[in-house]
Amino acid sequence: MPSSRTVGLVVNGESRSLDVEPRTLLVHALRDGLGLTGAHIGCDTSQCGACTVLVDGRAVKSCTMLAVQAEDVEVTTIEGFAPDGVQHPIQRAFVEQHGLQCGFCTPGMILTASDLLSREPDPDDATIRRALKGNFCRCTGYQSIVDSVRTAAAALREGDAA
Amino acid sequence: MTESVIGVARARVDAPDKVTGATRFAADGHVHGLLHARLVLSPEAHALIQRVERNAALAMPGVVAVLTADDLPLTGAGSDRTTEPLARTEVVFAGQPVALVVAENEAAAEDAVEAVVVQYEPLPAVVDVEDAMLPGRALARVVEEEAGGGDMESIHAGVDNGQEDGDEEQLSDNVLDTVHRSSGDATALLETSDVVVSGTFRTPWVYQAYIEPQVATAWLEPNETLVVSTSTQGSFVTQRELARAFGLPLERIRVVAEPLGGAFGGKLALMEPLAAGAALALRRPVRVVLTRAEDFQATNPASAQVTHLKLGARKDGTLTALTARMIVDRGSNAGWGVEGITTLLVAGPYRWKAHDIRGYGVQTNRFTFGAYRGPGAPTAAFALETLLDELAAELEVDPLELRLQNAVVEADVGVSGNPFPRMGAVEVLERIREHPLWKTRASLPADEGVGVAAGYWPGGTEPAAAVCRVNQDGTMTVVTSAVDMSGVNTGFAAIAAETFGLSPDQIRVVAADTATGPYSGASAGSKVTYTVGAAVLKAAEAAREKLLKAASEELEIAPADLEVVDGAVRAVGSPDHSITVAEISAKALRFGGRYEPIEGHGGSAQTRGAPSVAAHLAHVRVDQETGEVTLLAHVIAQDVGRALNPALVEGQMRGGVAQGIGWALFEELVHDESGQLLTSSFLDYAIPLADRVPDIDTLIVEVPAPDGPFGAKGIGEAPVIAAAPAIANAVAAAVGIRLRELPMTAPRVWAALEDAQA
Repeated sequence: MPSSRTVGLVVNGESRSLDVEPRTLLVHALRDGLGLTGAHIGCDTSQCGACTVLVDGRAVKSCTMLAVQAEDVEVTTIEGFAPDGVQHPIQRAFVEQHGLQCGFCTPGMILTASDLLSREPDPDDATIRRALKGNFCRCTGYQSIVDSVRTAAAALREGDAA
Repeated sequence: MTESVIGVARARVDAPDKVTGATRFAADGHVHGLLHARLVLSPEAHALIQRVERNAALAMPGVVAVLTADDLPLTGAGSDRTTEPLARTEVVFAGQPVALVVAENEAAAEDAVEAVVVQYEPLPAVVDVEDAMLPGRALARVVEEEAGGGDMESIHAGVDNGQEDGDEEQLSDNVLDTVHRSSGDATALLETSDVVVSGTFRTPWVYQAYIEPQVATAWLEPNETLVVSTSTQGSFVTQRELARAFGLPLERIRVVAEPLGGAFGGKLALMEPLAAGAALALRRPVRVVLTRAEDFQATNPASAQVTHLKLGARKDGTLTALTARMIVDRGSNAGWGVEGITTLLVAGPYRWKAHDIRGYGVQTNRFTFGAYRGPGAPTAAFALETLLDELAAELEVDPLELRLQNAVVEADVGVSGNPFPRMGAVEVLERIREHPLWKTRASLPADEGVGVAAGYWPGGTEPAAAVCRVNQDGTMTVVTSAVDMSGVNTGFAAIAAETFGLSPDQIRVVAADTATGPYSGASAGSKVTYTVGAAVLKAAEAAREKLLKAASEELEIAPADLEVVDGAVRAVGSPDHSITVAEISAKALRFGGRYEPIEGHGGSAQTRGAPSVAAHLAHVRVDQETGEVTLLAHVIAQDVGRALNPALVEGQMRGGVAQGIGWALFEELVHDESGQLLTSSFLDYAIPLADRVPDIDTLIVEVPAPDGPFGAKGIGEAPVIAAAPAIANAVAAAVGIRLRELPMTAPRVWAALEDAQA
């Protein structure tokens, strides 16, 4: 078995130290090492997006990164997306616009939406759909998710505090 | 009175936890001393197992055990995947689990899988389902084993198989089941019909593609209770199945259904026997989490099907007769198949004067068939609704009007032999007839077209119970054992709120396990809201009676003169005479308290199903150069009985349509001629993504179900059924070609366009 090494990660604003094998994926380090199980594993081929986290604010499928590659970046998971226990406007929009059913894809959807809205504050539906095509949902047919992102964009533009 | 909460859109009760990552799915829970299992899958589609060499794997760091069927404490009660979760002597499909590698961590288990060497003696792989039926053909299973599918079939459909008759047809032993439904002389009636159309339709194996892979965790408590924490559609059925597999008394098995990350029919007692068997054998907690590749190969997708169908009509548009021969590929599933339900649903929501329908459940060396949203229905609807359009074209009548003219109404006798209950077939068709997309279809650009189709799901029943408990603070907890697959808990909250007189915000819905909860069947067959919801209603009524009795004593007013409004009991016509629910509950729930706890138990035992019907319009553009079909818009009108929460109903309708789009355009599990799966990842198997599903216009039609809570009925399966044929009919309207095979991928459409030109 490959030997383990210690990595220092900054996750949800906290510095964490973790022993991992060099081959350990970031998603496994988050889930198994730090108990951050909101990053879900839905595939083995970096398709589904259920494990999406923010790395320096950009949406990254955490199965595409090794834990050791995350040493000098800031990782935000769904658990740390709204640290004060108050829902972020994107989270609120997903609740109010019924942008989820089983909820397995939801953290990834929300974090991907966060990345999109940080770059494009007023995306049209086609732009939202393109941005979300790396996040699979089998329950909703996507429309309510698109509605959620559009609603969140409006709330954020109106200065709704993040 | 305050306004009704029924029919009002309201956020899901589980939404706050799901948007914050607080929901713990079945792979998320921490268990002390947990071992991780990884499956050794057969690379052979059909073979005898000669030897399993495990020493090299056992020597690897972290590996605790390599388990084969003989190592699990199974009773041998059957040959299905629950009672024989690992192949014992014969593998019958590529991807069948043969052994479990159990290790201290997932990586060690995965590494060691490579080191397990299984020697096989290959046998001929039976992959052509039609050929497999012929007498004398090689069998897909050669070692004689007793079949026994538990009660899996009744979970989903619960339909009988029509009449038994002494058929002379010569068939191989690969044919596990035959179904024959007939009434009148269909063949003679077709001969005298003015117009007859026919065709052979093929649909592939289709994967449920829940985003959460299958997972189960099992451990033994110190008192020898086997606890199974799992992603399942049903806790009690899983408990029963495990008792059967391991010969344990029910009381020694506790099944905890965790929040479900999608299932759609596919998560019932497949992983639990593996986790439980390993935990019983090793006496340590064991978790089995499938990788996506394993999930594609080793689980239970929807059957491939071949449907030969012939329909007739009179010149005036009256449908006459239909004959069908429907071949269902069950793969390795000896226990049950969809031949019973697909032969029922191929008649659609229409009146026929005669029918002769035969179904065959055939074993092959492909997968193990399992349920997927409306099992057997989309396949049947594709054939029927395509031919109905062709019939309309031959008759030169509007295809929607042809359907309307023949749509069933209450008391029409279906091919089941039973009369249809009230169902809104006419209403949903009338609704889409008024839609602008239908009215303007003649003025579309070139290569665009609009198609119509309809389909229904009979709806399941199963007795169920629920408890409503008022807490000391005046809030209510609703307890059921239903797995929330589609938003049912949010519906339960509305039912309890409306019935009892609280706001839905004051109601918490909890899912109990088999040790603690009232009985509920699996979340399958579109029956939970209809049956468990009815039990919640009765439980809330029972709790309300206790409340009024106590309030009556407190206020010295007869119960009949009291009403419950906004969390308080008050005198009718004299709202100042009131006492809050919290005050009464506080008087009950304390040492020396005066009143019985404000709790109610309710049950339901529906004997009539409540079918739900949906009609679709699809608007497509076909690229004649490439054959690519783009779905531009989709409309669905569905009879939902009563929409308890329209937002969630629309979510079910859209989700069903999206899966229907997958059937129509993208999804196909493909084997090669030796039975090897060629599509074992989301790279090879395409599900509809955000940029390929258009906005879906939802039209809710409410034809109340007499026995449903507030008229509600189960709605989950109906919306998927006729989505694909609506798209197929739109392709025909756009470019004049009719495909006989799903999915309508660009190469298939392009080839059909070439053929049409030739």
